Amino acid sequence: MKCEDVQQILPEMLDGAPGSGYQSEFDTHLKSCPDCSDLVSDLKLISSEARQLEASEEPAPRIWVRIAAELRAEGLIKSEDEPQATFARPILVPTSPRRRTSAWWLAPVAAATLAAGAYVVNHQAAPQMAKQPAAASPATSPAPVIASVTHAPAVTPTPLPVSATTTAAPQTVRGNELAREMASLAPSTEDQQFLSVVSTLSPSMRVTYENQLQAVNADIRETQAYVDRNPGDPDARQHLMDAYEQKELLYQIALDRIQ
Amino acid sequence: MASLQNNPVVAFVVKGVLTSALATSLASAGFAASVKEYRFTVGRNATISVDTQYGAISVRPGIGNQVVVTATLSSDKVEVDRMQTGNRIEVASHLLPGSSQENGQVDYEVLIPADANVTLRSSTGPLSAEHLQGDLTLAGPDAMVNVRSVENGHVHVQTMRGPITISDVKNGHVEIESISGDIHLKSVDGSLVQATSSSGSISYDGDFGSEGDYKFTTHSGDIEARVPADVSANFRVHSVLGRVRHDFPLTAQHSRFPVKEGSSFIGTTGKAASQVVLRSFSGKIRLKQR
Repeated sequence: MKCEDVQQILPEMLDGAPGSGYQSEFDTHLKSCPDCSDLVSDLKLISSEARQLEASEEPAPRIWVRIAAELRAEGLIKSEDEPQATFARPILVPTSPRRRTSAWWLAPVAAATLAAGAYVVNHQAAPQMAKQPAAASPATSPAPVIASVTHAPAVTPTPLPVSATTTAAPQTVRGNELAREMASLAPSTEDQQFLSVVSTLSPSMRVTYENQLQAVNADIRETQAYVDRNPGDPDARQHLMDAYEQKELLYQIALDRIQ
Repeated sequence: MASLQNNPVVAFVVKGVLTSALATSLASAGFAASVKEYRFTVGRNATISVDTQYGAISVRPGIGNQVVVTATLSSDKVEVDRMQTGNRIEVASHLLPGSSQENGQVDYEVLIPADANVTLRSSTGPLSAEHLQGDLTLAGPDAMVNVRSVENGHVHVQTMRGPITISDVKNGHVEIESISGDIHLKSVDGSLVQATSSSGSISYDGDFGSEGDYKFTTHSGDIEARVPADVSANFRVHSVLGRVRHDFPLTAQHSRFPVKEGSSFIGTTGKAASQVVLRSFSGKIRLKQR
């Protein structure tokens, strides 16, 4: 088994899918490959944290809003209506870590985006969902792709229709709802913050970043809709993870340039 | 007329007139362009970083252990910071108040030892590197990237929408990431060649080397690989929503992964020396014989 094979079946393995015939090959590969072993460890950690979130009695559906609010309260980020004088410095090129201060929060946000993606990929399309009869799950159509470029201050992805049904375990339904909410709401909040910083630090790049952001969000929604309809398709799930990674890449590029 | 052109006095006068005209036009536009040169001495496998918000950066081998940086500043609204710490050199443009994309531009031409490791960053680019043997990192949102004739190094390229062209890379470890930029690879081989673009296309023209892992992934962009008849590789090709096709015979391979006619195929040719994975969500994939 090679690394890419491991990545293909990783979601299934992490979910502990019963009856999978690859377990011994999978374990053998992990023993000999530190990269895959580290990846599995990281994903298990994310998965475990996500399960904690799923199992909590009152999961905060707008968790990203809260995080942003707390960061704002601590003065680590500015709200959009506050004066942005501290950002109005002309130096846009980071040459050393000490200059990378004003948009430092993009790094954890990018990581959180990827973590949300990992959560969605690993849980929303879990095997138990695949066992549901297709008829029990309302058909979900791909969310409309934003075709025209708007200059609104925030990019608000269209929330996806919830396909979970009462036949699924309540906790799974809740987890799926949360995952879906994370997928649809999280970008909205972070995207607003992201575009706000871009507008302030590099106004000429705003339209470019906004277009790219809309494109990666559309990719995520399109892939998500497909995974909803085809929960057992491992390649589609990998593409969903790839789409989240593309969004993380966008944040990384911004982190590098718009300081 | 030809004798006049070859006359050094005439050439000097013409050059002077042209320079004066250029300076006048830049001055009238409020810019005062200047060219500055910085020299450094380094040891083997030096690390060199050049970073500019606006402007081109090109790197190629120089002479001996010298690093020569020639910076063309478009105005006095931008400065060049440089620092050497042992074998590490950092050069960066530093925008001053009142700067813009026009007057904040700095173009760099850099000569380095061929074995140096290089990092180039520019928002606008273009970025180019050639005839080098160290590790290369090139990044920039809109930067057009051009890398050619590189050996034995790690080539890492990251753009948002800038097109990327990589050619004549031997025994490399190549990782390319773009969101909407097209990626062109010609005669690129190595232990790992990986390219990812969301909406950009990926084209590969080469023989997939020997015993390497090649992985090209797009979301909606098309992927096309042109290979010689004697290519030796194991292909795994799949597009979730797009069509896939290949123009030459492949020996079907058993796989645990499902194969769907028209949207995926798995097969080998030759001794299956390299592993090639071409994946797209909705783009078309085509494997062509050269």
